[in-house]
Amino acid sequence: MTQNSLLKPALFVVCLVTVVVLCFEIYYRSQGMTIAYDDGPPLWSHHRAMVYEPSEKTIVFIGSSRIKYDLDIATWEQLTGIHAVQLAIEGSCPRPVLEDLANDPNFKGRLVIDVTEGLFFNNNPPNQLNPNKDVKYFHEQTPAQEASFALNKVLESGLVLLDKDHLSLNAKLDELEIPSRPGVFMMPIFPLDFERCTFERQMYMSPKFLREPALQNQVKGIWAFFAAGAKKAPPMPDKDLDAIFASVKKNVAKIQARGGQVLFVRTPSSGPYLQGELMGFPRAKYWERLLATTGCPGIHFKDYPAIDHFECPEFSHLKKADAVVFTQNFIQILKEKGWPVSASN
Amino acid sequence: MVFNSYTFIAFFIIILLLHHLPFSWRVKKINLLLASYVFYAAWNPPFILLLWLSTVIDFFVGRALFTEENPHKKKLLLVLSLIGNLGMLCFFKYGTFLLENFVALTNVIGFDFHPAKPSIILPAGISFYTFTTLCYTIDMYKKRSEPVKSMLDFSLFVTFFPHLVAGPIVRPPQLVPQFEAPRKATQQQFFDGLLLLCLGLFMKVVLADGMLSGTADTVFNATQVLPTLDAWIGLFAFSGQIFLDFAGYSTCAIGVALCLGFVLPQNFNYPYAAIGFSDFWKRWHITLSAWLRDYLYIPLGGNRHGKWRTYFSLMVTMLLGGLWHGANWTFVAWGGLHGLYLWIEKFIRDHRKLKGESHQQLLAEYPAHKPWLGFLYAFLTFMLINITWVFFRADTFGKAWHLLGALFGIAAEGQPLLTTLAILKVSVILPIMLLFHWLMRDTKVLEVAHRLSWWSLGLAWSALVLCLIWAQESGSSFIYFQF
Repeated sequence: MTQNSLLKPALFVVCLVTVVVLCFEIYYRSQGMTIAYDDGPPLWSHHRAMVYEPSEKTIVFIGSSRIKYDLDIATWEQLTGIHAVQLAIEGSCPRPVLEDLANDPNFKGRLVIDVTEGLFFNNNPPNQLNPNKDVKYFHEQTPAQEASFALNKVLESGLVLLDKDHLSLNAKLDELEIPSRPGVFMMPIFPLDFERCTFERQMYMSPKFLREPALQNQVKGIWAFFAAGAKKAPPMPDKDLDAIFASVKKNVAKIQARGGQVLFVRTPSSGPYLQGELMGFPRAKYWERLLATTGCPGIHFKDYPAIDHFECPEFSHLKKADAVVFTQNFIQILKEKGWPVSASN
Repeated sequence: MVFNSYTFIAFFIIILLLHHLPFSWRVKKINLLLASYVFYAAWNPPFILLLWLSTVIDFFVGRALFTEENPHKKKLLLVLSLIGNLGMLCFFKYGTFLLENFVALTNVIGFDFHPAKPSIILPAGISFYTFTTLCYTIDMYKKRSEPVKSMLDFSLFVTFFPHLVAGPIVRPPQLVPQFEAPRKATQQQFFDGLLLLCLGLFMKVVLADGMLSGTADTVFNATQVLPTLDAWIGLFAFSGQIFLDFAGYSTCAIGVALCLGFVLPQNFNYPYAAIGFSDFWKRWHITLSAWLRDYLYIPLGGNRHGKWRTYFSLMVTMLLGGLWHGANWTFVAWGGLHGLYLWIEKFIRDHRKLKGESHQQLLAEYPAHKPWLGFLYAFLTFMLINITWVFFRADTFGKAWHLLGALFGIAAEGQPLLTTLAILKVSVILPIMLLFHWLMRDTKVLEVAHRLSWWSLGLAWSALVLCLIWAQESGSSFIYFQF
């Protein structure tokens, strides 16, 4: 081989890589897969930067995964003309995000906080890991990272195979679910069809997920796994719970003091999951106390016939068709609560 | 800006286009300089001021040092330059550390002193560009080389984006002459550079970030007692990660510069195939080791003033080399342990010399005539190097002892932590990496690439690129950016 001949292998690389990437892309699309965005810190930060929009034109949502599935952003924006900034983070406690917004003097807008009791009233560090990571990333984001995010969006918008959570090398290795030694914690793997994420950070279940009970049962199994873990954990001491209420009250008060508004929402769950939640987190001790402590309005799905009847495919989140109905009724309930939810207000 | 980001790919394409347009050489250099400032400012724009300050001061002080004949004035200029350069480094990198230690000391002797905790942000790459400018100043003082004639060339020497943030640490004679005459990458350089860039990104993105960093983080952040297996796997994971991360960065830097027609010095030469510790330091972060040798070890006396002075110089060099990596006593301990290893090696070498054996000769013969014995020595070196990584990665001595206890089974039986998959990843990657180092220890990756048939190189190169795409990891910082 002569010293100049890396041109030939380089051209070979271009051809082979293009062919392989195209083959995978065509294959994934033939399987009915659609574009999904990596819901990591860059996407969260992109939306976090929008909380400074005028408060009459924007409402910020924080919470855990339920509000990400249950709020249909297209329906919301079509009916209200108000921009929904989705900052909820699945599997996490929203209090670090509440604290971040409360400590941001420039945030003076309206905030809806989704309460999933098992996560909201929880001090486990793993549940605060992602919120803290996202908040830190937002505050430390460099101009180079912002530019990378913009370029990444173009690629993610065009290629189905760019799905870090499910199609990357590590995701595929994790999918093997190689058994580990007794006592080693293994994070359960959610099926790809359960976790599709739009650029607006709305999550939805694919039609395949809704068709296939096996996939739904897989997720129900994951909830059972987490529930079993939660049952083994010692109950939270009263002083820790008091501290949580106190911190939420303090942070809500900071936002209100700047002219902002805060509302709590308990989105639907069903079946054994709901039964477990009602037993583990009695309304009087958690939900009612939260509203009483903060003095904020709240919407509990069980209190409104229009939104109390949903059957969640995997007991915890609404399918997209139900999210549309939920959102329509949620807007109506907000209006009844005196919350201005149209851009003209 | 990091090499493993979409921003860099777009940036690099623009730079390549500009560099190949028919502009004058001066305009091309101005383009490269502006691009380097953009590259740096993409992290934190205000810190560009520090870079300018350092460049301007060292350019003029360097020239004055070279021409000044009065020894007192010359010394004064040198001291001023050292205070300027090292003062900036001390403030930003060691300010908090110095204050914490001062407070601890005053508290120990009975003063109740509790100042507010300073909030100092470390400018990216400050340790690297400070060393780059320092060596110019010292060279000018000692008249080792001619002063750089133009401010543009000097600025580009300090700021040239491939080496700016994490090296290789370049000396003026290595880079400045390359800026003096027009140059463009030959076709061979361009494709060699692209291959190195892909290889470096593969090392960083696929292996260091994708396969090893999670396991290393899990083990080093663990608060519970760890079983011996988990501790060793975590340590091996970090050992692989730190090499693949930093050597990956250097490989990218050399590749990027080569695509533009510039040659940067080699920074890594299969260090885990080193036989002994002096061999390790000739293969690991070569440009830093050479800097420390020429600007610290030799001025301290080197090996010219007897055995004990040599031991002293070695240890001081390694302790300060450790501190260069970070403002923490654990880095000093890391350097100290390397110093101790070098002491023992020197002691054995001196002992053998007394018996008439040439240690260097013996070492050189191992790979050729007794490969397994050589490999065994290299493996022993690797294992001892691993112990030093405990202090490098652990941010407190408590964590370091905790892990050492687990490594050597001193701690009580722990709760398993790592998944089988994590263990498998490390168990597959580390042996392959060690074997690769051993097989490649006397050659260069580009030499091997040029010896392969076009299709086998094409397949291997494609595999690297496909793994990069498949990994879907981007944007994480390189470990050495924090140093």
